[in-house]
Amino acid sequence: MPRSVWKGPFVDRYLLKKAEESQEGKHKGGIKSWSRRSTILPQFVGLTFNVYNGQKFIPVHVTEDMVGHKFGEFSPTRSYYGHGADKKAKRK
Amino acid sequence: MARIAGVNIPTNKRVTIALRYIHGIGAAKAAEICEKVGIAPERRVNELSDSEVLQIRETIDTDYMVEGDLRREVAVNIKRLMDQGCYRGLRHRRGLPVRGQRTHTNARTRKGPAKPIAGKKK
Repeated sequence: MPRSVWKGPFVDRYLLKKAEESQEGKHKGGIKSWSRRSTILPQFVGLTFNVYNGQKFIPVHVTEDMVGHKFGEFSPTRSYYGHGADKKAKRK
Repeated sequence: MARIAGVNIPTNKRVTIALRYIHGIGAAKAAEICEKVGIAPERRVNELSDSEVLQIRETIDTDYMVEGDLRREVAVNIKRLMDQGCYRGLRHRRGLPVRGQRTHTNARTRKGPAKPIAGKKK
């Protein structure tokens, strides 16, 4: 079920502040953010955020398409490299 | 035989049923269309006059997205998710369930037939 419209989109306050500062030229190399739960707003378009995935900060360059998604969606928390070939090696 | 929305040729079934042969029209929309055009849903397609068929065709053309257009839109939406690099896009790329279902077991619709794992049995 989607979020009620009357609440407006959820964004952590500090992100708004940082985005504003960043428009003025601060935060070179992207805004560091732990706020995966924040919605991407139209005023974030064109900025780069470094979104924490629990281990690393993943650079996310915000494009127009991304508005309405959450930051966490662009910073995968799991890595999977397929099941190992080691099993095959063991058999032979 | 009535041709509606391009290639579809529904049979001599009841109108509400026959309309469902069109991709993008299910039970609800079929009933809606019947009401809009003013055709009793019990009537069969081969009982319809040409003008009634034409009316149905027109309402579908103007008010509904069906067949090729619909398929294309869905494909474009999926493509957009994949290009964005968001989580849902990644799941589409991998061919895994997109909406958080478990993949430890099941998920066969997305993953396809089970692949045997070499050396699993003793």
